[in-house]
Amino acid sequence: MTPLLLALLLAAADQMPEPIRPFLAAKAKDGTPVLSAEDRRKLEEMTDHTRQLVATAADNQILGSAAHLKILLSLDLPAQAMDLVLQDNCILCHSDPGNQKPRALFSPDPAKQGSNPLLDLRELVSDVHFRRGLSCAGCHGGTPQDESMSNDIAKRWPKSEARHQDRSWIPGFCARCHADPAFMRGFNPTLPTDQLAKYQGSRHGILLLQEKDSHAAQCVSCHGVHGIRGPKSRKSTVYSQRIPDTCGGCHANPAFMAGYKTDSGEPMPTMQVAEYKASVHGKALLEKGDLGAPACTGCHGSHAAMPPAVASVAQVCRRCHAQNGALFDGSKHKAAFEQHKWPECGQCHGKHAIEKPTDALIGTAPGTLCADCHAQHAKDNAACSATAEQFRRALDTLAAGRAEVAPREEEMAERGLDVEPLARAMSELDEALVQARSRVHSFELGTFDQAARPGREALEKARQSIAAARSDYRFRKGGLLAAIGFMGLLAAGIVLKLREIDRRRRE
Amino acid sequence: MSVSPPRRGLFSWLDRRYDLAPLAAFLQHKEVPLGVHSIFWYYLGGLTLFFFSVQIATGLLLLVYYQVGEQTSYESIRFITTKVPFGWLVRSMHCWSAHLMIVSLVLHMLSTMMLKAYRTPRELTWITGFALFALALGFGFSGYLLPWNELAFFATAVGTDSVKAVPWIGEWLMHVLRGGPDVSGHTLYRFFALHVVVLPLSVFAVVGLHLLLIQRQGMAPPLGREAPRGMRFFPDFMLRDLLLWLIGLILLATLAVFLPYGPRIPGIEWELGRKANPLAPAYPGIKPEWYFLWVYQLLKEFPPHILGLEGPQAALAVVTVLFAIWALVPFLDRRSRRDEPSPAFTDLGVAAVLFIGFLTLKAWDIGGGKAAQPDPQAVARACAIWAFGAGLVATALRRALWHHAWFLFSAAALLHIALHGLVGMSYLGSGAIAAIAVAAGLGFTRFRAHRTVPAGDRP
Repeated sequence: MTPLLLALLLAAADQMPEPIRPFLAAKAKDGTPVLSAEDRRKLEEMTDHTRQLVATAADNQILGSAAHLKILLSLDLPAQAMDLVLQDNCILCHSDPGNQKPRALFSPDPAKQGSNPLLDLRELVSDVHFRRGLSCAGCHGGTPQDESMSNDIAKRWPKSEARHQDRSWIPGFCARCHADPAFMRGFNPTLPTDQLAKYQGSRHGILLLQEKDSHAAQCVSCHGVHGIRGPKSRKSTVYSQRIPDTCGGCHANPAFMAGYKTDSGEPMPTMQVAEYKASVHGKALLEKGDLGAPACTGCHGSHAAMPPAVASVAQVCRRCHAQNGALFDGSKHKAAFEQHKWPECGQCHGKHAIEKPTDALIGTAPGTLCADCHAQHAKDNAACSATAEQFRRALDTLAAGRAEVAPREEEMAERGLDVEPLARAMSELDEALVQARSRVHSFELGTFDQAARPGREALEKARQSIAAARSDYRFRKGGLLAAIGFMGLLAAGIVLKLREIDRRRRE
Repeated sequence: MSVSPPRRGLFSWLDRRYDLAPLAAFLQHKEVPLGVHSIFWYYLGGLTLFFFSVQIATGLLLLVYYQVGEQTSYESIRFITTKVPFGWLVRSMHCWSAHLMIVSLVLHMLSTMMLKAYRTPRELTWITGFALFALALGFGFSGYLLPWNELAFFATAVGTDSVKAVPWIGEWLMHVLRGGPDVSGHTLYRFFALHVVVLPLSVFAVVGLHLLLIQRQGMAPPLGREAPRGMRFFPDFMLRDLLLWLIGLILLATLAVFLPYGPRIPGIEWELGRKANPLAPAYPGIKPEWYFLWVYQLLKEFPPHILGLEGPQAALAVVTVLFAIWALVPFLDRRSRRDEPSPAFTDLGVAAVLFIGFLTLKAWDIGGGKAAQPDPQAVARACAIWAFGAGLVATALRRALWHHAWFLFSAAALLHIALHGLVGMSYLGSGAIAAIAVAAGLGFTRFRAHRTVPAGDRP
């Protein structure tokens, strides 16, 4: 098998540019060719231009060996990206295992090579900057054509100890491009260029830039280093479903957050991410895949991340729950909450651990939100108690009615009965329930009843359609019985006739 | 025993004009032979015809409201079942009678097979009956798509796709069936034309020929009985036929009322569900109608490539050979041609039932629980237990009640089932072993027969 493969490779070598041929003939220690048939196929399928770039790199000895070429082919890059790699001496030199020590070697498998996990060659060639033509030299200095480390690189890039001790240089470094609208327009005209300005005013920015706390998050803390992807990529650390874990990398780590305080001077909690994941928003985003549900940045912002103040937190909720917010603004509770300096929505629903609200929150029984709050702050208010009781009773009636009629739909469908009227009524009932539950935030019976009344009507329609369907089914069974009776009589007549014929014949 | 035709009233008036007396005399003299077996088997052809008549009647009623078209088929069926008075009943009876017609047709064929009613000179009656069976399958396949719902759409896509396996013309044939590369509105129009025009006209012609042959030759007498007892066709047999039709109608109406969408078994259900959406992905668990399930399962048993053929091509070749053997049984069964018992063909009928029954059970994933992707070995084992058990019971009954002694084909079918389901061999591997066993058994039987017949008597 091996000699055959070797013969094939040697035959094919004739068609390859001269500098590539030694790679095709190269053998490993065990005598097998370094480049497999699959690698050869990849070489053959390259465009002439790309193959010529391979040959040039090989001729310049910056593509050092067959093993080095095999590594590059294993990346399975599209032609354009392969061309970028082959014209970038930094990548070529730092991906050659025969030319670099593990500490500076970019490899498709850094763990196996014992190099830094950040030096992942696959990640590097997937980086959004690399894909748009901005490679190592863009950040580190020098040019892709440099054949050795230049002074320019040494000047731009601080020594390891210095750049790790004080991270405050990073936002400004990234902002050289990202805060320059003219420059960014050439790559992505829709990308904002105000990230640095926002960051400077954020809690992270204040800590890093003003208080020189290099623990504080900066650009690479969230976006990564080599292998940065756009926020719409599922692999991006700032993809909405990955944001909780990205933020949680610091905020859910008690050791890391030790010493930090909230605005009110309390130790910074580290339960937010766990609470968020168990919340209605966390489940919607992470379990149901609803990308419209907010992650951490949905309420706190991203580059301008700050804890929302009491005055503004309700406005954050209103970005999605606009109707509930408007109803609350017109309610009696608005003034009361302002008087107590309560954060509106958060006062009843909580912050990170927001649960799916249920009708059990409403009412005058102990344990309900209304009763517990009024017991402390607005005791013996008969009108409020009556309103709360009415809300609860109406919602319970609609919900119980729905639970009563819903199973009938499947039962009717199985019997072949017309379920359309019931399905329509159920749809109206569901909409009425959603609206009624929302209008609870008006804390006013008239507004609430505008939604509850259609619900009661829809429930009545559903019950009528069930009754009509049952009556229809009874009619069907009755009709069948009558038909069987008629056909049974006919059958009996035939049997009698047959007997008569037999009797007559015997006689 | 001649009866003078009546001379008064309407018959006399018609007789004077159309000379009906010979027809009346024919009916009065026509007899149905009575054998050692139950006369019930003679009624199955009539029962099939009755269910076909129900199909025609309910089909015509459905046509009053049904509007073929991508935008109207689903909606009109929905309208028929929910708004048209008794529309639900008409559709339900149409669907139920289609399935019951296939059941009675298959039983009719099997009874003809077991009683050797196909023997000389009734070969063409068998052939026309086989053609009617093929036309009935065509009715089922073409009618399935007409509601234009999701299940029908994907089942038709799978069904028409399998036509590609036909050598040389497969791709072209699929395009002709679909009216293009994919199942679309064009397919719907074609299937509608097939279902309501082409197939009914063909069935009328073939049924006419089938009945004409029966009238010319009479019903087949029991094997080996020179002068069988007879029952007068009119009115004795006709009234009994009518009685069975009434029972069939009662059964049909009861099923239509209590199970309007079928028994909810894959392949026997016709709930409308969602409208077909050609852009939606196909969902798992789509199965054809129950009488196609064995072919569907056989296609699944074949690997992608076998003996230089594509898997589906090989499976289709096997199905074609089996159908050809079945169609040519009257010509293959030389013993019954000589009016001698032919136990091998009785056993072939039993083996066919076991073979098709086992594949059908597998297609239903019996023993696979409710898993979306049931364990194939567990399914094969459970189905083998059922099929093997049924086969053993059938063999014991045949031996005890009818003293049958020829079990080679059914034994091979049971060996195939046991090797695959109980031992765990592949379906095709165990099938090959069973086929070799049959060949060896047949060779041995011929060799023994050859030795026991004196040299001078050998053909």
